[in-house]
Amino acid sequence: MATLDVEGKSYEVDEEGYLMDWQEWTEGVAGAMAKEDGLDLSAEHWNVIKFLRSYFEKYQIAPMIKILTKELAKEYGKEKGNTKYLYELYPAGPAKQACRYAGLPKPTGCV
Amino acid sequence: MADIKAPELTGEIITPKVTPGASKGIMPFKAKPELMEKVNFPAEKPSNWKELFLKKMEEILKKYRSVRVFLDECVRCGACTDKCHYFLSTGDPRNMPVHRQELMRSVYRKYFTTGGKLLGNLAGARELSDELLEEWLTYFYQCSECRRCSVFCPYGIDTAEITMAAREILDATGIGSKYNLEIINKAETIGNNLGMPGPALRNTLDFVEEEIEEKTGVPVKLPLDVEGADILLVTPSADFFAEPHVLSLEGYAKVFHQAGVNWTISSHASEGGNFGMFIGNYDHMKTINKRIWDAARDLKVKRVIAGECGHAWRVLYSFSNTLNGPFDFLDSQYRQPSHICEYTLDLIKKGAIKLDKAANDEFSVTFHDSCNVARASRMGETPGDQMTIPREIINACCNKFVDMADDTIGERTFCCGGGGGVLTDEMIDIRVKGAMPRMQALKRVKDSHDVNFFALICAICKAQFTKIFPIYGIEMEEVGGVHQLISNSIQLGAKEGV
Amino acid sequence: MNGLSTVINLLAYVTALVFVVGFLNKVILYFKTPNPLLIPTTPAPTTTMGVVARMIPEVLFFRSLLKGGTAEKVLWVGGWIFHVTFLLIVLRHLRFFTYPVPGIIMAFQGLGILAGLLFPIALLILIVRRFTNDRMAVITLFQDYFVLILIIAIGLTGLLLKYYVRTNLVDVKAFILGLLTFSPAQLPDSPIFLIHFGLVLVLLAYFPFSKLMHAWGILVSPTRAQADNPREARHVAPWAQ
Ligand code: HEM
Ligand code: SF4
Ligand code: SF4
Ligand code: SF4
Repeated sequence: MATLDVEGKSYEVDEEGYLMDWQEWTEGVAGAMAKEDGLDLSAEHWNVIKFLRSYFEKYQIAPMIKILTKELAKEYGKEKGNTKYLYELYPAGPAKQACRYAGLPKPTGCV
Repeated sequence: MADIKAPELTGEIITPKVTPGASKGIMPFKAKPELMEKVNFPAEKPSNWKELFLKKMEEILKKYRSVRVFLDECVRCGACTDKCHYFLSTGDPRNMPVHRQELMRSVYRKYFTTGGKLLGNLAGARELSDELLEEWLTYFYQCSECRRCSVFCPYGIDTAEITMAAREILDATGIGSKYNLEIINKAETIGNNLGMPGPALRNTLDFVEEEIEEKTGVPVKLPLDVEGADILLVTPSADFFAEPHVLSLEGYAKVFHQAGVNWTISSHASEGGNFGMFIGNYDHMKTINKRIWDAARDLKVKRVIAGECGHAWRVLYSFSNTLNGPFDFLDSQYRQPSHICEYTLDLIKKGAIKLDKAANDEFSVTFHDSCNVARASRMGETPGDQMTIPREIINACCNKFVDMADDTIGERTFCCGGGGGVLTDEMIDIRVKGAMPRMQALKRVKDSHDVNFFALICAICKAQFTKIFPIYGIEMEEVGGVHQLISNSIQLGAKEGV
Repeated sequence: MNGLSTVINLLAYVTALVFVVGFLNKVILYFKTPNPLLIPTTPAPTTTMGVVARMIPEVLFFRSLLKGGTAEKVLWVGGWIFHVTFLLIVLRHLRFFTYPVPGIIMAFQGLGILAGLLFPIALLILIVRRFTNDRMAVITLFQDYFVLILIIAIGLTGLLLKYYVRTNLVDVKAFILGLLTFSPAQLPDSPIFLIHFGLVLVLLAYFPFSKLMHAWGILVSPTRAQADNPREARHVAPWAQ
């Protein structure tokens, strides 16, 4: 099993780097994953991550992308409340990359 | 992932030179032992795997006439060799349908025919080995079970049947695809491929209701688990999650609203898709399909309608009567599931819904026939209506529609490249390549007719093209659903009813 | 009757048995193997009559093959001429199996001769395409050349018998009728005939165990032979209840 080492602690991850146990997540995990991808996490990035986690805690699944973009719109206004902006933040795809940073399992299905 | 390059878009589909091993190494992640056990397969490949392998193969040969006859009757005429999108885009000879089948046929000769037992190599017989397993895992997962090859074969040999059987044998040998089995497990335990529990589904539907009301001012409802509703909608769970999928969901909801019918979604059967088919496993296919019929019974609906999803429609239309029929509890007028396109077109023809074509004037539209709809099912009364019905809908709600080249649509449609359980990130390389023939055909109508809306009726196609378009340099927003066009143009309020 | 005649007579009976039993065995095997699901390649007819209507052009004109590109058109020409001429030649041969010879078979004789000439040309097309195209070269197996060469050899020895080393046809007919009436007769005194006849026996014995079973397979191939009628009728195979 692959692992991700953050600040002396090692976390189990799957083949694609998703945390095996979403509850183990710490901010350090997200930071380390972003660093590997060469991404600097801005306040907007963190906002997405936090929203994803709180949604997941409540519903055991990541929210629909539109729910996420709407949340961003509320926070930052219309220019940033759209899918395009999400892709700017998370170029490898918001559903997948952002979920990974947030420690959530990868969404499955025809998505 | 970022370094995946798309083939150049020239508008031409050219048969490549044969390049052995060109797509070697692209294969799905294997399922972990815990997952294998959850879906009733051996946890791992055991030391006596050859026994398990051959036992399963023998069983399949006894149970499926298709597999037996197809293995026997191929004359290696070569008609299918350049019909597969994965061969056309990679040149890997194992992606020629007949040569893909050969991976199984060579084993069949070795263990199930006299000639092969006696003559071995000379007769093209091959012994089981780890190397062979590796090739099976590779090339039987580089097939999207799209059936294009079967159209051109003089005997109708359908490589998809062989692929399904091969995956079933691999699973029985303890080698499964993580992506497919995870989804099957979620569909069977939670009720949909995403693993979206009931409360999350309700929350999502609330959100979609808000969206529609915000955009239109009309309170269109998306009911969940309503007993006694007339219609049960089963749609791929991607419609509750991804874009552009959800825009078609809005379209269905508006159609039902405008028709003034009582309809519902079920949290027990919140999935139209059925990955049991992709791995050729009858039991899983039946179990997943059964949730729909249990839900239909429990909610006492009169009718089941399927949302936009290619393989879901194949299972619902072609298989579910066999798997879990008869459906005598449904209204005698609607004994069988209908497709949302059949339903919508019917309403349009009756004048029960009004469409404002101008609402789609910014779009020049083309339509991609999803292979499972085109080659493995039917809509309407007459064979072939599965091609005309979606086009009629589009023409009813758009002013600009154009078809792609004849040999790339209808029964000869090219797969999106992501069907059949291939739609997973580790397969991205073959997915990008496999989309090539379709993309070339699209390129031509983009050049000639400025097409900027690629209309689909399949959740997998939608996900695949949304991912693949940007790699080919096309905006992902150009991907959409047929009911998204309906959603844009339907006149809410001003109700005339059915 | 000499020793060789006895052996050949015996071999002929054994071969006939192998062919008939082998063929029927496959036919029964296919029938016994169920179709658990409806899998016609659609658009497909929704009725049995419709399936018959779909099947006829498939068998008579290889209709699906015609949907392909240039390579398939070339194949179609070679393949179709081969099959038709093969059929005509078989029919022409019936004159050796019947006494008196029915008029209808006599009527075929002229066509049969034309067929005999086109036959090797068609086979040549079929064989050449197997090594001149890189995709064909990859998929072609030993047995694919084997049948083609076997059939060419049958054809050529046949033509030899007709045009160069003429055999006594009365002897031939006596030999064949002897076989058919179970009163074995002397083998005609012709090495070429012996080869021609021997190769036919090989073809017959090989038939049921080879791809030649496509002749029957097409008729039971579920993607073509099933009606697309899941809405009209419930289709259930015994094991899948
Ligand atoms: C006694 C019956 C038959 C014999 C001996 C026979 C023999 C053969 C042979 C040897 C080939 C391979 C040619 C090659 O290697 O290129 C072939 C191919 C083929 N056969 Fe037959 N066949 C028979 C009946 C049929 C029937 C009833 C059909 C009707 C569907 C059919 C359709 C085809 C087609 C479409 C091909 C592929 C084209 C080709 O390769 O020529 N055959 N057959
Ligand atoms: S078209 Fe059919 S018979 Fe010809 S090689 Fe392909 S599978 Fe075999
Ligand atoms: S079913 Fe489709 S993907 Fe599979 S071999 Fe045939 S053409 Fe290729
Ligand atoms: S995903 Fe769509 S195009 Fe691809 S196999 Fe399925 S229905 Fe066909």
